[in-house]
Amino acid sequence: MDIDNGSSSQINISINHLDEWIAQLQECKQLSEENVKQICAKAKEVLSQESNVQPVRSPVTVCGDIHGQFHDLVELFKIGGNSPDTNYLFMGDYVDRGYYSVETVSLLVVMKLRYPDRITILRGNHESRQITQVYGFYDECLRKYGNAEVWKHFTDLFDYLPLTALIENRIFCLHGGLSPSIDTLDHIRALDRVQEVPHEGPMCDLLWSDPDDRCGWGISPRGAGYTFGQDISTSFNHTNGLDLIARAHQLVMEGYNWSHEKKAVTIFSAPNYCYRCGNQAAIMEIDENMKYTFLQFDPAPRRGEPHVTRRTPDYFL
Amino acid sequence: MASTDNGSNDIQNTFAIPKKEILTKEDLDKFSTSPAFEEIIGFIRDLSSSVEGQKLGDADDTSPAIEKLSALLKSLSKCTDDILPFETKSRFGNPSFRKWYDTVKENIPTWLDGLVESDAIPEVSKYLVDSFGSRQRIDYGTGHELNFLAFLLCLKKLNVVDKSNYKSLVLKIFFGYIEVMRGLQTTYWLEPAGSHGVWGLDDFHFLPFLFGAAQLKGHKFFRPKSIHNKEILEEYSKDYMYFNSVHFVCNQKTESLRWHSPMLDDISGAKTWEKVNNGLIKMYQAEVLGKLPIMQHFIFGSLILFKGSMPKALADSEDGGHGDDREHEHVYAFGQEFPQCCGIKIPSGIAAASASGQGSISSRPRPLPFD
Repeated sequence: MDIDNGSSSQINISINHLDEWIAQLQECKQLSEENVKQICAKAKEVLSQESNVQPVRSPVTVCGDIHGQFHDLVELFKIGGNSPDTNYLFMGDYVDRGYYSVETVSLLVVMKLRYPDRITILRGNHESRQITQVYGFYDECLRKYGNAEVWKHFTDLFDYLPLTALIENRIFCLHGGLSPSIDTLDHIRALDRVQEVPHEGPMCDLLWSDPDDRCGWGISPRGAGYTFGQDISTSFNHTNGLDLIARAHQLVMEGYNWSHEKKAVTIFSAPNYCYRCGNQAAIMEIDENMKYTFLQFDPAPRRGEPHVTRRTPDYFL
Repeated sequence: MASTDNGSNDIQNTFAIPKKEILTKEDLDKFSTSPAFEEIIGFIRDLSSSVEGQKLGDADDTSPAIEKLSALLKSLSKCTDDILPFETKSRFGNPSFRKWYDTVKENIPTWLDGLVESDAIPEVSKYLVDSFGSRQRIDYGTGHELNFLAFLLCLKKLNVVDKSNYKSLVLKIFFGYIEVMRGLQTTYWLEPAGSHGVWGLDDFHFLPFLFGAAQLKGHKFFRPKSIHNKEILEEYSKDYMYFNSVHFVCNQKTESLRWHSPMLDDISGAKTWEKVNNGLIKMYQAEVLGKLPIMQHFIFGSLILFKGSMPKALADSEDGGHGDDREHEHVYAFGQEFPQCCGIKIPSGIAAASASGQGSISSRPRPLPFD
């Protein structure tokens, strides 16, 4: 896979720097614009070496949507264990809607650089230029950095995120769901993923589709991707020798939800989504024997007020 | 589907079912300098001016038009009371909303009878029906709210209301509509459509803040920062739409205002309500009327007139409120200011759906998908 021309020489960031930035971000303090530029350039190098179906070993803890809920991500690490003691697989949607998309995605990217073999970060449908312009991440970058450069660095990086992961050849993980244009994992491996999420076709479907109670393929009310029934999941799992499809992308009140007679599971890791949904969050721990356990958690208490200072928007000056 | 009235007045005499006209950035640019744009923003300014210094209870207009519109709002609320949501965990909102929508859609021509001349009812009612949210997606956003404003603008253009009614149109009818919408949002869990999350002004609404700021212009005691005072919100929500809207959000969400609504918090730093009101008008032009993901859904007919480059098949295939007729839903996904637009039009929704999976056709303009 191509590496961005501008960064063809290897970029070196010392472990000390990475540790320093992780500590800074864990306090929910954003990185400088220059540091964001550096981590994104380096992360492109790292991610471009990964497969569209990135192999992952157990034990690993699988997580769903985060959506900028930084304090809940910190809670997630408390429940699931710290990196690198726990291996993590995140299935996308780090940004948009929440207050701290910038800090959330920065932390996950720096952790990826620090422990590349212990954390896997996939692409969600929100890791996209056009979606982030509508759902908040663009507004947040502008608000926190005063310009759109940081948004540009991150969205350019998003093109390199792997689309799916495969745990011990048995659990297939991705953000959305299946695609009528894809029968085998090799089809996915053959996709050229380094691009903005297209409006349709296999790559779009992997990030947008949802399981449904109805059989076969259906038109998605979201306007992108498809709905797929139990027959589709069963046949896909059979063809590819899989036990389970683990995916995110939908709010589920208990944080996880089985469908298709346990052929598919939805995991959502943003508790009390958008400060109002009242849902629990969950993560799925998979041990070395491929036994899984769901850990549910509630929103982390917000201590005090956010440390972003009030700034009257230009319209109101 | 157009019909002719008796030619007894000087307004449009050929009505038309409104349809979409904006698909590309170029259409939107054209719209932003069109008479339709001026008419909409001018109407908002006039409505806003009419409520300066006025409380919600100050609407004392008992003209037949206002009375009829009040009765219509009551009928809408009654539907919400009658049609119960059913138990579901779906993130797409409660499907009972579709029953509400269909019931209302069926009854609206009757409810508008006597208020709007019968030939104009198909055109005018389309805006009203579209103002309650998406039947298919069970969501709601500022684009739907804009349709209610367009409905009121149609009434003005048909001389059903005039400037003397504006104050009541805002304080009684528009605010009454907001209350109907809150009923729908809380009963059927309408999803916020295209919400910027915490970074937007509000999950659903815009205009109550704009008109609400106008009400507070020049107020002796209340300042924009008064929204941080819980007692003021509680005591004066009945008088001022701005406080009412902030109060509603605070009751819906957990944690403090600064967490869930940083934009409202930022705006509270403005010096005067005049600045808030003017700022919201500027912001409305840029962030609502100037945004393709919203305006690609807006419809134009004979009363609010604009012609874009939308291919006929695409314009006509949009949801007339029937969720099953949705081939067009696969004609989607073009974002605003997306850098790789080549501006190629598509022939029709059906053609696009059948072409899917046959190579890269991702660069043509299509509406943005949901979430």
